Amino acid sequence: MKSIINRIHSQRFKLSSAGLLLLVTGFVQPTISADYPKAGNFSNGSKVWAENCNRCHNMRGPKELKDDQWISTAYHMRLRAGLTGQETRDIITFLQASNTKTVASGSTLVSAVISKGATGMETYEKTCVACHGGDGKGTLPGAPDFTSSGGALSKTDEVLIDHITNGFQSEGSPMAMPPRGGNANLGATDIAAVLKYIREAFGK
Amino acid sequence: MKCSSYSFRKKILVSVVSMSLPVMALAESNNDDLQTQIDDLQNQVTALNSEVQQAAEWKNPNTLIHMAGYADVGFVSPENGNDSFVIGTFSPIFHYQFRDVVMLESELEFEIGEDGETEVNLEYLTIDWFVSDYATILAGKFLSPVGQFRQNLHPSWINKLPSAPPGFGHDGAAPISDLGLQVRGGFPIGGVRTNYAVYVSNGPELNSETEDESEFELEGVRAEAFGADRDGDKTFGGRFAVLPVSSIEIGLSFVTGKATVTELENGVEPPSAGFESGFIGNETARDYDVIGADFVWFTGNFSFRGEYVKTEIGEAETGVTTGEAATWESLYTQLAYRLPGTKWEAAIRYGDFDSPHDSQDVTQTMLGINYLVSNNFIAKLGYEINDGVSGSAVDDDRTLLQLAYGF
Repeated sequence: MKSIINRIHSQRFKLSSAGLLLLVTGFVQPTISADYPKAGNFSNGSKVWAENCNRCHNMRGPKELKDDQWISTAYHMRLRAGLTGQETRDIITFLQASNTKTVASGSTLVSAVISKGATGMETYEKTCVACHGGDGKGTLPGAPDFTSSGGALSKTDEVLIDHITNGFQSEGSPMAMPPRGGNANLGATDIAAVLKYIREAFGK
Repeated sequence: MKCSSYSFRKKILVSVVSMSLPVMALAESNNDDLQTQIDDLQNQVTALNSEVQQAAEWKNPNTLIHMAGYADVGFVSPENGNDSFVIGTFSPIFHYQFRDVVMLESELEFEIGEDGETEVNLEYLTIDWFVSDYATILAGKFLSPVGQFRQNLHPSWINKLPSAPPGFGHDGAAPISDLGLQVRGGFPIGGVRTNYAVYVSNGPELNSETEDESEFELEGVRAEAFGADRDGDKTFGGRFAVLPVSSIEIGLSFVTGKATVTELENGVEPPSAGFESGFIGNETARDYDVIGADFVWFTGNFSFRGEYVKTEIGEAETGVTTGEAATWESLYTQLAYRLPGTKWEAAIRYGDFDSPHDSQDVTQTMLGINYLVSNNFIAKLGYEINDGVSGSAVDDDRTLLQLAYGF
């Protein structure tokens, strides 16, 4: 009897292990990407991308290309724009993190992410400032002016949190904001904090 | 009593055994089901692993193959002349990259001429060796790093207007391309970003024109890459730019070397015996010097840029061609504004081109309005107001429509 129960437990353990293996292989392996170049700095990548690409041509949104295509494109642009190797790696890191699909409104994607406990201002300066600017007026064509009365901040918190969480493309804007601004580490608490900071800093 | 006790224990034993049998049977049944599920899962994991490995092959190769480029088609309506549909160019760019070490870049340029013939040119072909974070060595045919327009702005999906500024096209004041060795990159000086390019190359050649096939004068500088250095002297050039703030870039360029006449108009035979030591007749190598300056300021929906370039060819003491020095000079400045919250963009450009030939000189103002279907697919409408020698081709105002697509 004990032997049978042990076998059942043993089989359940194998079943759990097999399920875990399936999860691991199913959700970790497909995210494998090229082992070069070295990982760059996401925040600096978004800043360098916003400051350089628009100098010559219209911005190309992160979602236009796949991860490997961004590597070749960034190295091509390294020569054209006179970027350093580190700036190139930073841009690649930012673009590869930001070319995720804009998900349907109301997604709970963010609930699986553990918040890092950054303040709203810290999150804004690391993730948002490159496109939305230090003054909240937007640095790129299509980025909204947070200081405009009746503008983006006139929407409810629920709507804005949904936009930040799942990505959003404004009417007439040439490209979409990626989910969580491209920063996969942002959790629900971070998003709530950064929205609070944006309202306090730029809202009228 | 004993018998009764024995009988009772026997009953209990029978009861326990009889109750255990279905449990054991059920356990065996569950066991079989679990084993089946495990087998199924193991099969799925095996199949999934195979698929994952196949998928990862394409996500993690040492060599990347990538194609980009641009194309444009359009319609041209000159004030004095026939309206025509035109194909500007189809320019695929090929990238073959080995890790973050080296990249082969090549752009082809397909064009249809007025006679319907398709022309194919190698716009550039370089092998780029990323030797450090601050320097890349390029070898091959490269776009001239003088100024901004030729190396960065001429693709039709980038150019805000449907034509090039006067003097920045072929046979203008600005060099187009060259063949040689270049080092370029960027580095910070304190908190200020800078970028640079320096090169050594075969340099340009000169062509001449004639009215009576006996007297020749310089027609233009063919500042496109040549596969031989006929004047025997290497050309050196480069550009250095600084970004005092991230929204402003200011650049200075130079080129110096030698150039000689290698082509007489319409294939006219030189009066003396063909090429001698690479020269036509007794033509000599002349001084060739270029200086340039450029700037751009952009913020939000607004961009303002300008460029100046001057090419000088020195005197020649002997030769088939007239010996005077000659100068080509060009500048333009351009303002573009994207209407907030819309896909409309307005642009205006002023340009001026001076050459040794009055018939080529032109002052141009161009007005344009663009509709950005997407950031890389643009419909442009432009109107060129050209002021040249009365009656010459460059004096004709034009309306241009263009669809440009960058990919």
